[in-house]
Formats: sequence, C-alpha cells, structure tokens
Amino acid sequence: MSETRELPLVEAIQEAYRLEMERDQSVIMVGQDIAGGIFPHTKGLVEQFGTDRIVDTPLAEIGMYGTAFGAAMEGYRPIVDFMFAGFFLNAASPILAQTAQFRFIHGSQMSLPMVITGACGAGMRLGNEHAMLVHNMIAQVPGIKVCMPSTPYDAKGLMLAAIRDPNPVAFIWHLGTMMDRGPVPEGDYEVPLGVAEVKREGSDVTLVANGFQYKNAVAVADKLAGDISVEIVDPRSISPLDIDTILRSLEKTNRLVIVDESWDSRSTASQIAAEVVDVGFDLLDAPVKRVCIPDIPLPGGHMEPYVAPNPDAIEAAVRDVCR
Amino acid sequence: MALGKKQMALLYHNLVRADHFDKMMMNRIMQGKLLGFYHPGDGAMAAGVGASTFLGENDILNPHHRAHGMGYHVGRGTDIGRYLAEHTGKVDGCCGGRSSFHWSFPEQKVYGASGFIGWHFCPVVGWGWASKQKGEQMVLMASGDGSYGQGAAHEAMLFAMNWKLPIVFFCENNGMAIHSTAADMHPMPDISSLAQGYGMPAVVVDGQDVFAVAETVIAARKHALAGKGPTFVEAKTLRLREHDVGTPDLARAEPREAKYLEALKQRDPVVLATRRVLDEKVLTQKQIDQIYQEAKEEVARVEQFADDSPVAQPSIEELQAGVYA
Ligand SMILES: Cc1ncc(C[n+]2csc(CCOP(=O)(O)OP(=O)(O)O)c2C)c(N)n1
Ligand SMILES: [Mg+2]
Repeated sequence: MSETRELPLVEAIQEAYRLEMERDQSVIMVGQDIAGGIFPHTKGLVEQFGTDRIVDTPLAEIGMYGTAFGAAMEGYRPIVDFMFAGFFLNAASPILAQTAQFRFIHGSQMSLPMVITGACGAGMRLGNEHAMLVHNMIAQVPGIKVCMPSTPYDAKGLMLAAIRDPNPVAFIWHLGTMMDRGPVPEGDYEVPLGVAEVKREGSDVTLVANGFQYKNAVAVADKLAGDISVEIVDPRSISPLDIDTILRSLEKTNRLVIVDESWDSRSTASQIAAEVVDVGFDLLDAPVKRVCIPDIPLPGGHMEPYVAPNPDAIEAAVRDVCR
Repeated sequence: MALGKKQMALLYHNLVRADHFDKMMMNRIMQGKLLGFYHPGDGAMAAGVGASTFLGENDILNPHHRAHGMGYHVGRGTDIGRYLAEHTGKVDGCCGGRSSFHWSFPEQKVYGASGFIGWHFCPVVGWGWASKQKGEQMVLMASGDGSYGQGAAHEAMLFAMNWKLPIVFFCENNGMAIHSTAADMHPMPDISSLAQGYGMPAVVVDGQDVFAVAETVIAARKHALAGKGPTFVEAKTLRLREHDVGTPDLARAEPREAKYLEALKQRDPVVLATRRVLDEKVLTQKQIDQIYQEAKEEVARVEQFADDSPVAQPSIEELQAGVYA
C-alpha cells in the first residue's frame, strides 16, 4: 500500500478523470483549450483518450455547454470544463433554467449525468470575473448538485462521485488550492456527495469552511490552539448540504462560525445559519457568525486579501463567539 | 483614400509609442511589477493604432483585450499613466485600483472592459443605437478571431445590419485563441465572411500595415456616419508569443514551431512602417531617432507616475459606498 503518496489537487482531479475515462467509455470531456491545458488538470489527457473524447470547442460557452447537455441525453457522461468557473454565466440559461429543471419538469423520466466544472477564487488578483465564486449561484437552483473540494483526497473522491452521479453536478475548485499537496490513495474510491466531514476535532467552537477557506480555517485553528479549541467541519458539498454533521458538532461546541468565500447575503453561510437556528436553536450559546465577502463586487488590485475572507477576519469571528 | 504625410507621421509616432508601452508591460509582468496577467501584443500593435488614431472624439471605442488594448489606448490618447497605475493597483489608477486589468475612461467614451471575451457584443448594440439617434458618432468595436465564436456576435451583427447601426466590427485575426488555431475553430479562413450572411460589407486588410488599417477604418467610419450601416473590417495579424506571459505557447497540445514563429518576426509592423516612412520621405532618420527617444522618456514618466502612486487599499465602507450611484 502506498498510502502516503502525495499529489497536488489538480493531479488528483486528473487521476479521477483518467480512472473513470478508462473504466467508462461514455465519459467525455468538453471545453476550451483542454487538449493543450490551461490548468494542469487536463494536461496529457488528449494523448491517452484522443480528440473524440477530449473535445476542444470554439470560444463559445453556449455551444460548448450544449455539446455536453445534448450528449448527456444521448447516453454520454460529459464533463464540461468552463476553465474559469465564472464563464459558466455565459451559459447560465441552459444551465440554470434548462438543465437544472429538465428532469423534473419532464416527469422525472430521464437523467442528465454530467459534471460542470471550473476554477475560481480570490488570491490571484485577476479581478472580478476570473475570481468570482459561483457555487452559491448554482446551488440556488434545485436540480444541480454542487461540491467544492478542500484537499486532494476529497478532490479525487468527489470527482469520481460526481462523474458517476446520475444528476448534473457542479464541481467548483479554488485556484488557491490548485497546487496543494496531500495524500491521495491510488485506485478507486468515492467521497459521497452531500456528506460533510469533521476535518479537525475540537470542543469550543465549530468552524465551517471549505475550498481555499479550509486552509485559512486550519491556520486559525493552529494559531488559537491551547487557547480556543476549534473543530473544523468541511461541508464538501454545498448542495445537498449536510446539516446533520454540523448539528452534531454543535452538540459538543455550542458555537458556530461559518466561512464562505461568497457574498454574504443569500450565501451557503446564511443558509447554514438559518437551518441551524431553525432546528438547532437550543444548541447555541452564542450568535452564529458568518465570514463572507461583503456585498460589494469582488475587486482586483490589492483589495482581495482583506475583502475576501481571511485569517484575521476568521480569528476575530471565532474570538467573538467564544468571549 | 490616401493618407497625408502628417497622418502617416502621427500613425508612426503612435505605433512606436504603443510598441514601447507593450514591451514595458511585458517587462513589468516578468519582473513581478504588474498585477494579474498580461497578454502581449508584441509584433501585432499596428492594428489597434491604425484603427483608433483617427476616430472622432464622440466615437465610442472598445479596445481589443490583446496587449490589454494598448494600441487603441495610445490611438485614442487615454492616460497611460492612470492605465498603468490601475494595472498596479494604485490610487491613481483609472478605476481607483479596483480592477487590475479593466480600463475605464468614460469621458473619452472608452467605457470599460470585462474578463469575459466577447462581452462587448451585447452593449455594442446600444452603443450603435444611441450613436445613430444622436448622429455624428459611431462605434469602433475591436476583438479577436476567437471572440466571433460567441453567439452574441451574431446577435450584434443581426441588429447592426437590420437597423443600419454605425458600427465597425474590427476583428484582429491573429490565427489563435489561447492554444486553439483559428483554422480549427472557424470553418472559413476569413472571419469577415460571417458578415456576408447579414449582407454587411466586409474588408480584409493587412493588420501589420498600420497605414492600410487606418485607411480602411477611415473609410468604414465615413460609411457609418453617412447612415449606411456597419462594416466588418478584418485585420490579419499574428501572435508572436504565448497567449499570456508565462504560459506555454501551444497549438492544440503541441508547442508552436520555432521556424513558423521566426517567419512571423519578418512581419514586424514597426520595421515595415519605418521602411515606408523613410522610403516616402515622411520622416527622416533623425526624426525617427527623436520619436524613439521620446517614447523611451514617456515610458519612464509613466512608470514613475504609477510607481509613485500609493497602493489603493480603501476601507470596506469606502468600497461599499461605491456600489450604488
Ligand atoms: C467568456 C470567456 N471564455 C473564455 C475565456 C478564456 N479566454 C481568454 S482569451 C481567449 C482567447 C481569445 O482569442 P481571440 O479573441 O482570438 O483574441 P486573442 O487572444 O487571440 O488576441 C480565451 C478563450 C474568456 N476570457 N472569456
Ligand atoms: Mg486570436
């Protein structure tokens, strides 16, 4: 067993692609410049699988998405890669208005097994469109599952689960985690969609964070160790959301801080807060705190580090609920 | 319509300046003195300069994303100091340091930019519509061969032709979109052949020839201002370097051939223009040396301005105050 093998997150994603494309001939990839590779996760795939399965398209998100959308009805399992996740907005109508509701509105007779993926996140100072996290925009609409990995292990397992899921699944990954290394088992395993994980045990406060923000959460937990004992829950999936794991953690800690790299209003953070207040009100010893992006467009320049959630803001929120 | 010597001298001057500024941007990104990324225009700065130098002051200009619009900004006369300060996140940036690579000079009708390639195919319809209502103004909308994959490009051409809007669809065809070749991504060798289906006049011009581009756009502008509607101008150009500084230079999944790139260098628009202005006695070598000297000094001034400007880090409250009018 080579349990200790470590891979960067992008290579973990690629390993999931390779495994599943070798196993299942119906899996194809559609995107712009995926043969050459913009990010390393698609590099080299075209050599192995050829241009019938690694499909480069013109600079046209609707046609590109349409290739996947239509092929999914014809028995393929497409992975459609938007490069920067924000570019999905150019195909927002076919994704949010049609794909999400397609099965339900047509009497639940068919399924659309596809993965919608792209990278995003603050930190590279590329400006609003390239950075914007879109997980909450997609999760707003029932019919598409949404997940975002924090670790290479989860990236591979979630991607395998996403490709095999009979539903459209948005797999959003954060640029700030791209080269993060971590243990990744060889071979086949799934991280189930809709299941959170307690990534670090603690007793004073529950800190919910995923993607790049998971790293910030770990940094804060390390810093406060000995003073405040932080339990970190990684939701892994945003939709469906595993509220039970968060509630179980609150039984121990009774305090909750949620980090969500997204606008504050109508975010996953506000959703978690609302559900906890609804069914877990008696578990709370302090107000629920959310650490998000204030409701301003995400600026580029030198403003990302303090406008996006960051260790200082997370620490302040943790200290606040633990007073 | 032949250009006068004064016009040729101005084009030459702007081309040399734009070329210097593009190289400044390349140097800075490699030195870590520019935020985000930079998509070099090296060897392809003539099209933007030629297309924008003789626009009227009421005309609306949408620069191409390549070279972050530099040729167009120089042609238009936007403030390159504030442009660079924006790219470095400084308070004197044209967007207060909020945008990194997006530019905005609304007083000069260079309204803005987006990281979404082809975003402009949407507002161009309104720019054209308003220009037609007002008269005496038109739109120069520049973008690349890749951008014409966007469905919105076709909507824009449909509206423009139906309503005879005063728009020049100016396409810089450099044969590439990141790692994709135009040959793979478009069925026809000329992007401008798309215009045919809408009955829109289309012209193909050598994008390495700053003078030919200017002449073509001047004529298309005249056509637009006369109420005759849009023109598609396709400037054939090239991409000497990688898509953006630091990424591998591939065609599909293979490195682009060195021999091919070497051949492209023979089409350097500055070399071509220099030969022309000397041959036609538009400028003397001494005047050319002077232009180069001034361009170098201008680069130094612009960099000094941007570097002296403080880093923009306004408070959350200040930023919030900027969301709504
Ligand atoms: C909507 C959208 N899709 C994809 C991209 C990624 N992208 C950035 S530049 C580019 C290629 C643009 O090609 P072209 O229009 O020919 O201009 P060039 O870069 O060749 O000058 C692509 C695909 C993007 N920025 N926006
Ligand atoms: Mg191009």
